[in-house]
Amino acid sequence: MLCTEVLDALEPIAAGELTPDDRIAAHLASCPHCAAALEDARRLEQILQARPMPRAPAQFTSRTMARVRRARWRTEQFLDLGFNVTLGLVLLAILGSVWLVLHRSGLVAVSNDAVALLGTGLVTLARRVAPTVPLYAGATALLVTALGIWWWAERELT
Amino acid sequence: MQVVNERELVERCRLGDERAFEELVDRFKDLVFGLIARTVQDRSRAEDLAQDVFLRIHRGLPYFRGEARLSTWIYRIVANVCAQDQAPREAMVSLDDDRMSGRSMPSVSDRRFSDLELRDRLEKAIVRLPANYRLLIAAHYLDGARYEELAEALQLPLGTVKTQLYRAKQQLRRMLETELK
Repeated sequence: MLCTEVLDALEPIAAGELTPDDRIAAHLASCPHCAAALEDARRLEQILQARPMPRAPAQFTSRTMARVRRARWRTEQFLDLGFNVTLGLVLLAILGSVWLVLHRSGLVAVSNDAVALLGTGLVTLARRVAPTVPLYAGATALLVTALGIWWWAERELT
Repeated sequence: MQVVNERELVERCRLGDERAFEELVDRFKDLVFGLIARTVQDRSRAEDLAQDVFLRIHRGLPYFRGEARLSTWIYRIVANVCAQDQAPREAMVSLDDDRMSGRSMPSVSDRRFSDLELRDRLEKAIVRLPANYRLLIAAHYLDGARYEELAEALQLPLGTVKTQLYRAKQQLRRMLETELK
């Protein structure tokens, strides 16, 4: 039997997964080189089995969870942005379609008079509403502040 | 019982239960970190990669059908993360140049390495192995992963896994020939 054949079988023998047959056993008994190699393989097996197991650092779970939350928040932001952009595009498409229908059907000429009438109405309405504008402005500012605080608090939480 | 608990845990994670995912991280952190730390020398890098593994698990859980064991699926993710990370890093760490190049033969007294030194040499020798061999050695000796499980995780035939593991050990034995005496 050749040394190369025996050397190829040393690792399974050293790991206890292969029992050397008579030919291999005879070769190992007569060849000091292969016998020494088997001893090396057994030693290596022992060292590999005795290697200390590296343990995860103490704060590993909390740090991982923080990364998971950050990643999830980013995904949600991305989805929100995608949703808003899509909504804007849909609105634009609707407005464009309405304009196209009006333009093609000749309703634009008719609607010019309607726009003028609407303009006069709006001016009248604005004159009437003007005295209450500060009140509405104050209410809007309050609402915006409240929404801002809510957004900030939610961002802090996530 | 463990498998039932595992399924339940996965199901809770899939439903978005954050505590369940935290439990999953706690349960598998030593396995994931241990595997990576045995293939990557730098501990902080190992932690980053281990966190990457859990991020992938978090993203992939909705698609995990439970056909394989959770640990097998995790092995596969670890293997992918390690392979992606280590491809450009191959051959960055070297053993003692004199020893590896065989330019100087150690004297008999030099050969008497203590276990600690031998372990150090072994770690350095393992780093010189190809990435797939390193992971096989880590998984087989860290967690006692069976060949069948490794084969399933790495999507390799059983015979290939055994052969690669034997070859990895053969290479290690040759690299450490002097020190093992």
